[in-house]
Amino acid sequence: MNAKIETPDLMIYAMALEIENFNTVLHGVSSPLPVLAMSVARKTHAPDMAYISGAEGVDPEIDRIYPSSFDARLNRNAVAYFGLHEAFDLAQRGELDVMFLGAAQVDCNGNTNLSLIGDVERPKVQLPGGAASAFLMPITPKVVIWVTRHSNRVFVEEVDFVTGQGYNHRSEECKVNEIVVISNLAVMNFKNPERAMQIQYYHPGHTIEEIKENTGFDLKVAPDASETPTPTQDVLDLIAEIDRDGIRLSEFH
Amino acid sequence: MKKVLTSLEEAARLVQDEDLVTFGGATFHRAPMEFVRELVRQGKKELNLIDREPAMDFDLLIGAGCVAKVRTGMLAFEVFGMAPNFRKKSEKGEIVTKEGACQPIIAGFRAAAMGLPSLPVKGMLGSDLLTISEVVGSQTEIKDPFTGETLIAVRAIEPDIAVIHAQKADEYGNIRIEGPFYEDVIKAKAAKKVVVTVEELISNRDIRKMPEATTIPHFIVDAVVETPKGAYPCSCFNYYDADYDHIKAYLKAAAQDQFEQYLDNNVYRRASA
Repeated sequence: MNAKIETPDLMIYAMALEIENFNTVLHGVSSPLPVLAMSVARKTHAPDMAYISGAEGVDPEIDRIYPSSFDARLNRNAVAYFGLHEAFDLAQRGELDVMFLGAAQVDCNGNTNLSLIGDVERPKVQLPGGAASAFLMPITPKVVIWVTRHSNRVFVEEVDFVTGQGYNHRSEECKVNEIVVISNLAVMNFKNPERAMQIQYYHPGHTIEEIKENTGFDLKVAPDASETPTPTQDVLDLIAEIDRDGIRLSEFH
Repeated sequence: MKKVLTSLEEAARLVQDEDLVTFGGATFHRAPMEFVRELVRQGKKELNLIDREPAMDFDLLIGAGCVAKVRTGMLAFEVFGMAPNFRKKSEKGEIVTKEGACQPIIAGFRAAAMGLPSLPVKGMLGSDLLTISEVVGSQTEIKDPFTGETLIAVRAIEPDIAVIHAQKADEYGNIRIEGPFYEDVIKAKAAKKVVVTVEELISNRDIRKMPEATTIPHFIVDAVVETPKGAYPCSCFNYYDADYDHIKAYLKAAAQDQFEQYLDNNVYRRASA
């Protein structure tokens, strides 16, 4: 029985499963969930991944996380430094396999908004900015978007501003690159001919009906949709140990 | 080599109102915070700030009324959320915000560092950010002349001044950055003027013992200021960690309309102490 697996831990595990062994993976700023997911992947199914920290360390030994994902303590026992601009060069070469990005809004085509709501010159809501989203989304083979508050205000028919490019705003050659959206309710992808967002996994304790009700567009359901895989106790212990300060919960408040 | 060691006050006078300014570091790490506080004390106006992912350095200057324009990839306070003064003043129309993206901003610095008018990057196509930057003329679509590939040309970004906080330097401006570099070396090469505040002065003899540790050589540095704790409350690798409690207190002050009091206690008072 997995009666009491907390949502952040379920999301972290789902994010970790998007990483394959031997992948080269980068996390950016403000990314406690990606840092934990990369740490879990490396300790479980992807021991040979190349881990590039936004704090610039390569393959660091993560023993604890901090309120900043650029904290230099995240580089503990790293084998090298690799600057963010070097990681972006790698992405231009097509050699950065997976990137994790956030979003304030996501739409049915996978576009994200982290920029603003309202007028460009005088925004009604100024958002923090997309950081590397617009640069990385069309050129990275797999982009994992994580959303901690699944609601129809976040999952909208069409984003107010396209920061990160979904399938309808991509050139043909970029349309093959994969987007996965992992929320506090479900794991979603676009693996259908229309490239429309669909539920692939629903988290334990949540129904497809509930997820659709909390989505501001007609969310599809994959024919083989099933319950989200749950982490083992070892994985839960690892997450709890690295994040003993509960920093992963900050995005869920 | 000429000696470039000076005082914080003198170094901050190199910054003119309306200058295009960038800072070293990233978010809460090795930002030149004491220099930033001195800019506030000197009452700088209408600064034009640019960086990939700044945090409290930009927000403090914005809150203190020193800023006219901001261009960043992201300006936020990591897991603590939005940059409060940035958000407020942008929504009130008191500052002009032109969002960029990390790699194009770095490419702009790289172009300037290489003496080129522009540099191409991949990605960006299809994002509304491209439309914004085409309006301000900093990025545009081009075709690569050899492959025909569509790329984005980014105009060179040559700051009037780059201010970096580093661990060590000698009095001539040979700089040692320890730990992550961020884009500090690129920014130093890109800027017209370079000021470096350092935790510790070391001798030129010590510099010469390990030239591979010198990340920025003297001839591109205009001023060095010995500034212990110069990144506080941000971190300085090998010297101190970020003081997240102080950063939270800053956010609390801003949220409770006590930002002026924060400035009195942490910026102006410190100068008279």
